[in-house]
Amino acid sequence: MKILIVEDERELSRSMVSYLQKENYHCDLAVDFAEGRTKIESFDYDCVLLDISLPDGSGLQLLKELKNDGKMEGVIIISAKNSLDDRIEGLNLGADDYLSKPFHLSELSARIAAVIRRKRFQGNTVLVFNELTIDLIAKTILVDQKPLDLTRKEFDLLLYLASNKNRVVSKNAIAENLSGDDAHLYDNFDFLYAHMKNLKRKLTIAGCNDYIKSVYGMGYKFTM
Amino acid sequence: MKLLRKTVRGYLIYSVFILLIAIPAFYLTFQQVLQHETDEELMATKIYMRPKLEKAISDSAAFHFLDDYMSVAPATGNLKGDSLYTVDIFDTIEKDIIPFRFIRSTIDLKGKPYVITRRISLLEKEDLIKTILIFQIILLILLLGGLFVINRRLSLKIWRPFYLIMDKLHNYRVETQRTLKLPSTGITEFNDLKNSLENLAERSHQTFISQKEFTENASHEMQTPLAIMRGKLELLMQTSPLNEEQANLIDELADAGQRMMRLNKSLILLTKIENNQFQDQETVDLKNIVENFIYKQYTSQLEQKRIIISADLKSNIQLHANRMLIEILVSNLLGNAIRHNNEGGSIYIIIGNNLLTVKNNGRTTELDTNKIFTRFQKDGTDANSLGLGLEIARKICDLYHYQFLYSFTEGFHQFTVQFSHAND
Repeated sequence: MKILIVEDERELSRSMVSYLQKENYHCDLAVDFAEGRTKIESFDYDCVLLDISLPDGSGLQLLKELKNDGKMEGVIIISAKNSLDDRIEGLNLGADDYLSKPFHLSELSARIAAVIRRKRFQGNTVLVFNELTIDLIAKTILVDQKPLDLTRKEFDLLLYLASNKNRVVSKNAIAENLSGDDAHLYDNFDFLYAHMKNLKRKLTIAGCNDYIKSVYGMGYKFTM
Repeated sequence: MKLLRKTVRGYLIYSVFILLIAIPAFYLTFQQVLQHETDEELMATKIYMRPKLEKAISDSAAFHFLDDYMSVAPATGNLKGDSLYTVDIFDTIEKDIIPFRFIRSTIDLKGKPYVITRRISLLEKEDLIKTILIFQIILLILLLGGLFVINRRLSLKIWRPFYLIMDKLHNYRVETQRTLKLPSTGITEFNDLKNSLENLAERSHQTFISQKEFTENASHEMQTPLAIMRGKLELLMQTSPLNEEQANLIDELADAGQRMMRLNKSLILLTKIENNQFQDQETVDLKNIVENFIYKQYTSQLEQKRIIISADLKSNIQLHANRMLIEILVSNLLGNAIRHNNEGGSIYIIIGNNLLTVKNNGRTTELDTNKIFTRFQKDGTDANSLGLGLEIARKICDLYHYQFLYSFTEGFHQFTVQFSHAND
């Protein structure tokens, strides 16, 4: 699957490429508006990551042109501004998602996966990991075809880790994914450990393999 | 004391002083002058009467030309020279005591000494003095009164630009107004003052702007390196082999990075509030927002700390404000109440009377009211606290002219927002 990253900050785009390549995405880089436009016109991508503030133009303009050309790429807007107006305008112009800087690469990866699933599989999305099945539409988990009762948080947690399979996802990234901006209200990561413990217990009881591994207290990894 | 009253008071005291001195002085002087005149007239009697008297004596005629006011008699004893004196006599016609000026002089008429006594009523002269005096007093009062009024009005007029300038200065806000527009006056001193103040305001504003821009730019520019750092750390986490020591170091770095990012985000938010970048306003239902936080967003945090929350939301407040800012305000207040609370503590939330009150347990000592609303004042033990939450809340209150108050009673820290123009 091909991804175009339109981002003028090279170090940032290199990190993104590095992380995404391990997910078997093929990544192209464009450092400015002009290069981005050329690449979008010349190739077909599954997903375009679009920085709003480019040195020679606005990413929103590029998004407009892309949609005018009838391109079907999934677009995730990346902005340093985190302003509601940009978000609304971007989504109105047809962007599939919006991510404000600084973001966790694991979060980015999960969002890309979601966008591609929506675009390519028309939402008919069921993730299967051996005996474990995640139904993204119904938001249900099946272990050996038997439904498993999980809370919303536990489901999100599992999906987030599964979207970054075989990668270490940091505690901070998980906390932010679970609680959004309110993660800081917890004195520590106890809430995360509590959810994690419950999730793992439920999966084990249902007869699922223990795919989720703690990595030295630094984060968790969904290993296959 | 007002400047105007002070100057006018000086004039007033001087005027009264002058009046008090001038009127008796005038009276006494004038009386002296008139008495002197009378005395001279009396003295003249001796000279102009002598031929008449001598003629009458030589004719052995009676002094028929004499009247009540003059008498001539042969001198007895050895009276000599002239004597002048004043005597009050009861006048039967006027039916009043009238002062008379007397002269008694001894003169030789045909070798024989005679005593001439003559008197002049001082009544007319006294009346004259009185009339003049009254005129004088009226004149003086009119003069001084007029001066006083004119001076007061002139002062008012002269100081008017000063009061205008004062008024403008009073309403000047360095955050919002680029220039201070002061009225032009024809007076050099005030024009100097005006120019100096305008320059001062201009420079203050420039300083304010550049400081604000610094915070703004610094925060924005920091975002990219922070994003890069976070990305690289996540890549570093994926490397193998990775031992525990390395993992711990990465973990600590990630935590520090996380704090830095939150700090940066809060600073950007503060700057945006200061720049008034939240322009959209709508009717915001306060109760709705509070309920959303305590029954949805913060439930797991409350559960984790086993905090009991009691909300008195019977009366509601509709605010006309930016929804996001009100949400931030409420979330900061509640967030603080949760974060600084004890395990198993309690929180009270009350809406009513145009007030939103959040009370919570926590530290058993009162917070320093001078410090809590300033940046980076935080509970030293809590690494998760940035020390910007209350500052953000206060800035939001400032923006909408809400009052933001803190008090400590019966072991509860209480933060209150008083909404100024809300409909209860």
